[in-house]
Amino acid sequence: MTVHIRGHSTVADRAGDGPLDHLRTMIGALPVPTSPLTFPSREAALGLALMDLSFRLDHLPRLSEHLTLMDRGHMSRTISVDVDLDVISGRLRDTLQVPGDAMPGGRASLWVPVSRYSRRDLAPVVIRDSNGDVVPRLSHRDANRVTAAAFVKLLFMLINAHEDVSAPGSPIHQLRHTHQRSRWLVEAAITELVMVGSPAGQRLHTPLDHAELPAPRASGGGSRAVRDLALEGLDALFPADGRGQPVPFARLLQLAVRQYILVAQLGLDRPRRFLTWEAPLLPAQHRPAPLQTLAKNVLPINREFVVEYETEIPRSVKAYHLTLEVRQEISVRRFLMSSDVDEEFVEVLAQDLESVARRVDRLGGHHKLLELEMQGIASRLAELGRRRLVDLAAYEAYLARLPIPVGPGSAPPSRRLTADEVLAALSAGDCSLDVLAAFCAHYAADGMQHLARSPLAGPALLAVAAGLRAAQVGRDVTTDNDPREHGAHANWRRPSADLSPQSTEPVRVFAFMALADEAPALIESITRMVAGLAMMVLAIGTLLSGGLAWLYSPDVAEDFAPEQADAVVAVLLLVPGLLLARLDLPSTKSVLGQLHKFQRTLAAASVVVTTALAIAVGTVHSDREMTRLFQLALAVLIVILICCLCEFSARRRHRSSSVPRSARVPRWLRDARGAKRRNAEPDDFFDARGEV
Amino acid sequence: MTQPANSTKSSELARIAAEAAGTHFSSVEFTLTHSAANGSLPASLADPDKDPNAWPTDFCHFSAAGLSVSTSTWPSAMSAFSGRVQVGLVGQEERGETYTYTGHAVPNPGFLNQSTRKVEVIITLGTAHWSPTYREALMQALIIERLTGLAAERDVPVLHLHAPVAPVPQTTRSERGDGSNERLRDAIGPCLRFSVGVDPAMSGTRLDFETELAALAEEYGFGLKLDDQRLNRVRGEWFTIRGFDRERHRQARNRLFPEAPPQTPRRAVIATVVGPSRAGTTAAAVGALRSRGIGVLAASISSMRKTTFINLVLPVAADVPGTLPQWSGGWLDALPRLGECTGHRLDEAGPSGESPIADWKVAISPAMRCSYPPSSQQTGATITGRVPYPIWLWWQLPHRTVDTPALLAEAQAALRPHTRRCEIAYAQSRLCRGDVVRGRAKLIVMLSQEHRDHAAVQRLLTDATEAAQLRIRERLPALGCVDPSKVRLRLSPRERWLTYAGISA
Repeated sequence: MTVHIRGHSTVADRAGDGPLDHLRTMIGALPVPTSPLTFPSREAALGLALMDLSFRLDHLPRLSEHLTLMDRGHMSRTISVDVDLDVISGRLRDTLQVPGDAMPGGRASLWVPVSRYSRRDLAPVVIRDSNGDVVPRLSHRDANRVTAAAFVKLLFMLINAHEDVSAPGSPIHQLRHTHQRSRWLVEAAITELVMVGSPAGQRLHTPLDHAELPAPRASGGGSRAVRDLALEGLDALFPADGRGQPVPFARLLQLAVRQYILVAQLGLDRPRRFLTWEAPLLPAQHRPAPLQTLAKNVLPINREFVVEYETEIPRSVKAYHLTLEVRQEISVRRFLMSSDVDEEFVEVLAQDLESVARRVDRLGGHHKLLELEMQGIASRLAELGRRRLVDLAAYEAYLARLPIPVGPGSAPPSRRLTADEVLAALSAGDCSLDVLAAFCAHYAADGMQHLARSPLAGPALLAVAAGLRAAQVGRDVTTDNDPREHGAHANWRRPSADLSPQSTEPVRVFAFMALADEAPALIESITRMVAGLAMMVLAIGTLLSGGLAWLYSPDVAEDFAPEQADAVVAVLLLVPGLLLARLDLPSTKSVLGQLHKFQRTLAAASVVVTTALAIAVGTVHSDREMTRLFQLALAVLIVILICCLCEFSARRRHRSSSVPRSARVPRWLRDARGAKRRNAEPDDFFDARGEV
Repeated sequence: MTQPANSTKSSELARIAAEAAGTHFSSVEFTLTHSAANGSLPASLADPDKDPNAWPTDFCHFSAAGLSVSTSTWPSAMSAFSGRVQVGLVGQEERGETYTYTGHAVPNPGFLNQSTRKVEVIITLGTAHWSPTYREALMQALIIERLTGLAAERDVPVLHLHAPVAPVPQTTRSERGDGSNERLRDAIGPCLRFSVGVDPAMSGTRLDFETELAALAEEYGFGLKLDDQRLNRVRGEWFTIRGFDRERHRQARNRLFPEAPPQTPRRAVIATVVGPSRAGTTAAAVGALRSRGIGVLAASISSMRKTTFINLVLPVAADVPGTLPQWSGGWLDALPRLGECTGHRLDEAGPSGESPIADWKVAISPAMRCSYPPSSQQTGATITGRVPYPIWLWWQLPHRTVDTPALLAEAQAALRPHTRRCEIAYAQSRLCRGDVVRGRAKLIVMLSQEHRDHAAVQRLLTDATEAAQLRIRERLPALGCVDPSKVRLRLSPRERWLTYAGISA
């Protein structure tokens, strides 16, 4: 939710960065303790309670983020949450109670986790409540200490409940009873890791990197045996599962060493609170695309400034508001939000489809079993079709209520499919929205009651699974509902029936914002200015030659070069200067400056042309050369004018584009609107995801 | 691609650990009651004056064959003790043949079953009314062993297992889908209901499990129904995979257990095996008993706070003399004692030290008389009208307000004006997220008005449950100072009508 990372840090398992690898390294590097590391049991319980609540955050029913684009490259965020302390269970509440005196109000208070964020962010966070009062926070050091205590406790619980704990000779039994120094070493290593932290993507540096240790002695003994037993115990306690997924304990540890928990002290006298804080400033992740940047700056295409934003919200959040505010001169042309709330559901469905496809022969022996599976799959496909159709309808409504509505455009006309056509399309891997919607309708009308005998039951399921993944049907779409032009707001609500109810995986939310300079835009003023300058050159030329013949006739009029050149020079220098001064050209650092880059070039070029002409008028005395120079200047100004008109038409095309050209917009939406154009990289990308 | 269930499992582990850690220690305290009174409930353990941490968080009650078992658990504030489980007798009521045990167990926080996809199964072992013979008890033990063994092979936890349960009537196509016109269910029948939790990401494991289940059904001739996995289908809706094959089942039973007597046991003992939850424990327990010739008359297996309770009603052979006294102790020591039920004092199979439940503890009741339901719908008892009908109850209450035995007693009292008899066949409640206790129960009622007409009985049952539901709701605020707006309670003659809308509220 409130975590950000710099640089690309896909936290995929890179070598040496596995969840338990850091712990293993630490076990090798720390001196072996000679006494147990004892934490008060209250701290362990508090740490476990904080960890539990901070993963789920189900006491936060509503979450709002307010984004402000400071300049190109920086975004400030204000986060507000509603906290409902009544949701926290009584037992956890007892654990979370702040010891000592009650708050001034007279009632006890609780330590409540409100967010997790990256250990890289060290900017101070000040949490305020609805009255503007600052809410006390648990210091990072204390939070780390109770987290370490929690892990030591959890490890002890896992060892105690392990089936080998009563089998003498097993590493677990030794860790618990006979060779406790190894356990203390593991505990010390966990504590060190949690206290020091290790943000994602960083290698853990230990003194071992700087020393050449002698080879272990054959007789063993010393700290080596203790370390070996500790490592052996870890392997016995957390055997790797076949699918390469980290064990839950390892995953918890990984998150604890990468993130801080933001813990606020809240009084129980007001169980429902509203808290707000400024999150650390978010820097853009610039994507180097020099050729593209050059093309954008040089070619006459009307640019939108595209900003993409990605964050994570707890799955239990019921409502999420994302608001964006930009300078008044800038308009938010498109604002679109997409979340992967159903992604896990689709992934499980796709895996089910693949498993059934591979086992269709075995399942076929039990016909009803295959039918049950197929019906289960059909019901889920139908539900997906229904949900995405609702999303599409909302998106169409959004396009229709834009200041300049966007029509159906190139969207393919909707088809009406029969049940057989639907099955054939699905078998071919076509999971487009109209097929899914038709499937939904046929399923609801009992048209899909015997699927085990249909052509779908078989290898076709593999194609459906691939089609579902390709169409990204697990992502929903939420649109802007802010009537202002320089602001945007999208309200995401958790679906009424959660399709993966057991999951606590955070929901990834992605927002697409296209900023533009809408009418009255700078390009209109520039076009007028260029047209004016062209008219001026035309008028002076006509006055000097006494007619319009100089424009096309090869003959050169006598006396074209004026005797009193100063007046012409003054007009040619002063008029463009005055016009240019009337244009309010922004700084190049700002977003508006980026949007106006090409237009500024056009304005400057037109002034350069008139200035050059003025110099020529002052220095050249040949009628012929003067005529040619006036012709040339007029031609260049007309070319600039054409560039301005190109800009207008490009702007119209952008404005009527129905689906953003972003890789993060779900595929099904682009397919439904028939968007064929290639995706474009955004100008700025802000990543506020947790390092999870 | 994100790894699904990954963070989900981590947060589940954090939740379990946080709840177990409590303020001081990480053990689970439990009380266990074996009773001979059918349908009787243990006294409420909750005492508002007591330490609020000693409120039971989880409760399980099960009664069959005139015997009942109740278990309450809660995180304990007791200091460490030796071993994994300890259990001891605390009281015995002379009058009602009630034996109460108390104990502590170390929960297994690594037993993660919340994030799994539940696969629920109903097995039909007969269509006659429920009064199993020694042979059928052995057959049932074998089937429980094989079923739970299938789960154990895949490291899949058994979430619950109950036998006997209410059979599901075959619905015909012409009946309405909302179930308003479906046949009434028998309260109890020779059926077995169990559920396992499979990781949603391991659909292959689930399909293999289901396929082998179907193959097992074919081999032994039992009927197999799986829970309807379609979206928007709720608990209590079933999909028939195989019908019951009476002839094949009879042949398999006679072939496998030719020696076992075809009489109905008159006496039985209740054995409760307790230990930290792990996969494969039920199969090990039932397998060890079956290898000693002990069948299973009735069973109720559930995990509460990561501690598994395997409650088995074991038949005592007719030729075993005297009364077997109550006993509690380790599993390996219990096996020879249980062997006495069959009359064989010799421990033939020999305990294996490798058993996953070697460190578990057992509480055994003395041999008690058992009884069977007098009549059922399918045996033609409708002519007399004295038919026991099942009624389902679902509730959700804030924790530390009304505890489950008190609520069940209230439900019995509320149904009393309409019924001649009302027993609790099973009840289970758990502390869930949001500090609420959710529970489910099945009550067996015999209506005070006798009716032969099917529609009239339906109407009577519906009226009775609606009136009782209203009455309980009215009474609850007075009973436990509970805010009426936080009470969710449904009482219905149909299991599938219990669900409230908006599960993901």
